[in-house]
Amino acid sequence: MSAPESPRTASPATAGAVAELRSVTKWYGPVIGVNDLDLTIGPGITGLLGPNGAGKTTLIKLLAGLLHPSLGKVTVSGRSAASSAAKEHIGYCPDVDAFYEEMSGRRFVRTMARLHGMSKSEAKERAEIALAEVGMTDRADRRLRGYSKGMRQRIKLAQALVHDPAMLIVDEPLNGVDPVGRRELMELFRGFRDRGKAVLVSSHILHEMDALAERVIFMGRGRILASGTLAEIREMLDEHPLHVRLRSSQARELAAQLIRWEDVKGIELRDEEEFSLEVRRPDAFFQRLGDFVVAESIDVSALETTDASAEAVFDYIMSSAARA
Amino acid sequence: MPAELAGYREWSGKTRSPWRASWSIVRTGVLMILRRWVFWLLIGLGLLNFLLNFALIYLKATLTIQNEAVGQFLDAYKVTGTGEAYADFMEGQATITALLLAFAGANLVGSDYRQGGMIYYLSRRIERRHYIVGKLMSVGAVVTMIATLPTIALFIEYGVLSSSLDYFFENGRILVGILGYGLVLAVVQSLLLFAIASWVHRAVPLVMCWLGVFVLLRLLADTARAISDDRRWLLLGIWENMDRVGSWCFGAGNPDKTPSVGLCLTVLVGLCIICLIVIVRRVRAIEVVT
Repeated sequence: MSAPESPRTASPATAGAVAELRSVTKWYGPVIGVNDLDLTIGPGITGLLGPNGAGKTTLIKLLAGLLHPSLGKVTVSGRSAASSAAKEHIGYCPDVDAFYEEMSGRRFVRTMARLHGMSKSEAKERAEIALAEVGMTDRADRRLRGYSKGMRQRIKLAQALVHDPAMLIVDEPLNGVDPVGRRELMELFRGFRDRGKAVLVSSHILHEMDALAERVIFMGRGRILASGTLAEIREMLDEHPLHVRLRSSQARELAAQLIRWEDVKGIELRDEEEFSLEVRRPDAFFQRLGDFVVAESIDVSALETTDASAEAVFDYIMSSAARA
Repeated sequence: MPAELAGYREWSGKTRSPWRASWSIVRTGVLMILRRWVFWLLIGLGLLNFLLNFALIYLKATLTIQNEAVGQFLDAYKVTGTGEAYADFMEGQATITALLLAFAGANLVGSDYRQGGMIYYLSRRIERRHYIVGKLMSVGAVVTMIATLPTIALFIEYGVLSSSLDYFFENGRILVGILGYGLVLAVVQSLLLFAIASWVHRAVPLVMCWLGVFVLLRLLADTARAISDDRRWLLLGIWENMDRVGSWCFGAGNPDKTPSVGLCLTVLVGLCIICLIVIVRRVRAIEVVT
């Protein structure tokens, strides 16, 4: 009855795409969860953003092999996401806060390692490494029922990391974690990325996604509304020019020059030393502005975008999607 | 803590068959029961029954030599070393097991649905069939631990304390009976518990449903039989069906009694198939409910 034991295939994280969705649709009876998704996730940190009901959890469960697509194909490391071989490469940290409360954190992580097909000694060793990685070594012998929300998040992460997956999928990992804990978890994700792995983080805490994710996926109504780096997505939003605040001792002269540029849609003077601009094609604008201030020796003391954050982009995309 | 300080190194070990991972589910399930003192009340009851029988067999073997009247007195407690005696003991232990499972079912199976914990299992390197088999085996392990293993221990004790080891050779059928009855109890109770707990997740409703299946169906069977004067109505009594099939494994019971052992077995097999269908559907349905 038992399948032959197999050597673990090498991590494919460095070989480009870790996970792919091709024309994936998922229905729950008459309700559509995700609709005709095409997506490739590679190494690095990818943020998954969207309002409730957007299809984020369905997408995550499809990738984790917990759901079968109604149409299309989900592959992880080239294998069907629902297969055992694909699950070797996925570490899933759900938002569900359910454990066997009588278990200790250490026992829980070890059990999850055993479920992954590790021998007793391997499971023990890997559990200790994963616990150390999430900073829970000293507290892992306590029963889960006595853990705080932040400690539970860490234990959930440890169980996801225990088999050294190529891709870590985390659903709302920063919920209920204090600021220090959040910083540590974000460092953990970055460390995972630095080892050439992929991290998919679903979160509602948008300003932290700014700092964390290199690439974001905006979802709404079961579809991917936009994906790419925040800057790329921001540049695609033609109807929402980028707002830039600029501070200079020569504000009036500079504003008079900039208003003639075709990428500058409008300028508003705030005071003698500060004005704000509405800019199309931000990349081209910033390149030209840099060259210009250097060539003209103009003193610029501050330059910042005011609506290029994930939150602002999210709002623009959602309002566009609502009108569509 | 940074990965480097944690002594991180990539894992390149071998993963074993997912079927072996099912044993983790069994171990987790059994330990979950053993960790709760409330379940130890029922386990202790089973242990008490076992120790009583163990002591009676010992007393019979040692005191009968000195005084035959003691042996006749102990025979009243059915310490006879026959298949019927072991079947009676197993039925008693099975009752305790059924009570234990009624209370433990919510933890063993129901909590996976109620709290969404099943996704921890299914996101690992196992598939739904491994999860189902693991859970069924964990219930089966509890039944075996309380009903079958103690009976085997009594059988061995009786044989060892007999005047010769011929007891083992002459009563091979008893060992088959113990294993057969144990298998019937483990298979039927594990499938039935999993099927019920996958629908009724909380402890109190689960206890009511579980006991209802055994007690109310029996009452219904007796009533229907009394009204129609047809003994086949007794087939509704699942507990009695298990007992008849179990006793048949020992070679005990009246073969001419209606309903026949074959019919009882057919009902149990049918019940198991229905339970299995329910379980598979419910485990698949986890896609929608979480």
